Amino acid sequence: MPKTILEVIDLKKHFIHRRGLLSSFKEHRQSIPAVDGASFYLKENETLGLVGESGCGKTTIGRTILRLEKPTSGKIIFEGKDITNIATGELGQLRSQMQMIFQDLDAALNPKMHVRDILSEAITVHHRISDAEVDRRIGDLLEQVKLKRSKLSSFPHELSGGEKRRVGVARVLSVGAKFIVADEPTSALDVSIQAQVVNLLRDLQKQLGLSYLFISHDLRVVELISHKVAVMYLGKIVEMGLSDRIANKPGHPYTHILWSSLVEKQSRETGQKAKSIQVGRWGVFDFERPTAGCRFAPRCPVYDSKGRPTLCIDPVTEPQLRDIGEAHQVACHFPL
Amino acid sequence: MTTVPILKIEDLRTYFYSRSKQAFIRSVDGVSLEIAKGETLGVVGESGSGKTITALSILGLISARPGVISGRIGFQSDRIQKNLLQDLGDFVNLTARDGKIMEVTKDVAGWERNAERIMSQVRGKEIAMTFQNPKSSFSPFTSVGKQITEAIRLHTPKKTELEVKECAITWLDRVKIDSPRLRFDNYPYGLSGGMCQRAMIAMALASEPSFLIADEPTTGLDATIQSKIVDLLMELKSELGITAMLISHDISVISRLSDRVAVMYGGTVFEYGPAKDILSTGFESKHPYTSALLASIPSTKNIKEKGYLQVIEGDVLDTINIPEGCRFYGRCNRVTESIRERCARHEPDLRETESGHKMRCWLYFD
Repeated sequence: MPKTILEVIDLKKHFIHRRGLLSSFKEHRQSIPAVDGASFYLKENETLGLVGESGCGKTTIGRTILRLEKPTSGKIIFEGKDITNIATGELGQLRSQMQMIFQDLDAALNPKMHVRDILSEAITVHHRISDAEVDRRIGDLLEQVKLKRSKLSSFPHELSGGEKRRVGVARVLSVGAKFIVADEPTSALDVSIQAQVVNLLRDLQKQLGLSYLFISHDLRVVELISHKVAVMYLGKIVEMGLSDRIANKPGHPYTHILWSSLVEKQSRETGQKAKSIQVGRWGVFDFERPTAGCRFAPRCPVYDSKGRPTLCIDPVTEPQLRDIGEAHQVACHFPL
Repeated sequence: MTTVPILKIEDLRTYFYSRSKQAFIRSVDGVSLEIAKGETLGVVGESGSGKTITALSILGLISARPGVISGRIGFQSDRIQKNLLQDLGDFVNLTARDGKIMEVTKDVAGWERNAERIMSQVRGKEIAMTFQNPKSSFSPFTSVGKQITEAIRLHTPKKTELEVKECAITWLDRVKIDSPRLRFDNYPYGLSGGMCQRAMIAMALASEPSFLIADEPTTGLDATIQSKIVDLLMELKSELGITAMLISHDISVISRLSDRVAVMYGGTVFEYGPAKDILSTGFESKHPYTSALLASIPSTKNIKEKGYLQVIEGDVLDTINIPEGCRFYGRCNRVTESIRERCARHEPDLRETESGHKMRCWLYFD
């Protein structure tokens, strides 16, 4: 039985939005609930995929777990230790265990440093070892991520998208992290390069026993790489379960919409006419005025077809995640 | 093809000079394409294969030097018939040695004077384009509505303030932006990515062009928004019967929208033919590059078995040092002993292997 490496309990992260002079008074502050009560756990050697539209709080969850943001409330337990409020001094030690592959590597890699320096900096920050040892380790890393040695003296801007991604992965591995938050590691890459990165991440998981929190909005890739998938909407996890179940037997209308927006595209391939699934309305969600009750109700086709029941929009009965069997949890009053 | 193509590109070449490498980058190197009226041509390929540069070359929007070198772009709509690169070849002098470009001299002023004269009636009016990054393609200082009215005033007979504004609002409505009257006064930063893309499409279509180039219309958008943009393009296609060139590296988008597909690699077209043949998994006689590209997409089978994805080994072709033989030779996994010599030495030409299906591969030539 693999042990649980990370547990997140009712995690909340609210950002304070200040506007104008009056905002220095407390009552005029506006809080934006980017993550509003997320609970999940992750086992060793496992991948949890986190999907959802942009702006639903996926990245914020990742950043908060790594303590790059201070959580508003809730608990984060990493390897049996509560890290929700640990002192800044201990964070360094913590971050040698957990790391993040950032979304935008043009911004995450220092443009004025050679690849060699980027990697050696990461190693020497966490480990006091000799230069020769650092060199040997960089050699190992390059082999692991299949990057040519000649690239060590390049600057980030001289690398292609796939190579930059590899440097990002190598830097994360260099500190010996066990748990990795991969934030959109395949976005903006060509399919051929995307395949290379996905294969690399899986190889590394097998070799080193890593655990991933895989954040992406590319559903096919998430489905392929993850063991479990959590679907987020407006700061809440609305559905969680084994990736196969989420993709093929979704319980939440939102998950259904997400995945069917993919199937539609492929209708041409299978030669079938696209089934006209009602893909919800246009509305883009608004963090500043969340609807009472179920957050998805204003866009929900089920809510419409049931004749807009008050149960869905009553703030008292906001749907919570509940088990519907086979390790599958849904937060919906009328699961599909 | 029975109908006359609306756009016929022949042997288009667009080069850039890299000062740090002291060499010419052959971004577009002999592209030939045809687009028939009412059809959608999908252009796929990895990044750096010259898709966008081809599109920009058609519109004469290349500003870096030396830019477009040679070729023929025959454009034929109901209103205009001309070669967009008419007589421009005289302004360029090219010296090559051993297949390597040594020097390109171009009379830029002369070229531009002539090119502008040709393009003034075409760009925006006959051929419109939506750009890759809609947010940065709009001016941040002017409201979206104003920018659309600008296009309308410039390219259509509508001139009065009221008329133009109404027209812009109709178009915003047509691309399904809700409350278009309010959105008219929004600045680009106030619109979401999907809405910006829609506004961009509205702006391109407002001048009622006969040909639309859509460059990566769905990149960087969420899956739900992506499918809505695709739906929108589908609808516009069936409503307006617009001829379009769709550039994307998302093969699912291309397969949904296009009638014909061109697969690009290293600055040339590798394969050109009906979309249903090229992109279907059942069709066997595909270019090795196309098959490899399709195989690297996570398929249903792949996901079920949690298998590895197939990758194309090696890097995208460096378009500075283009090899002597086939451009894909180094990465190709279907080279057989009998043709190895030819693949390494001679570049295959774009030949018709079946009716309506052209290919650049020795494997299929007798």
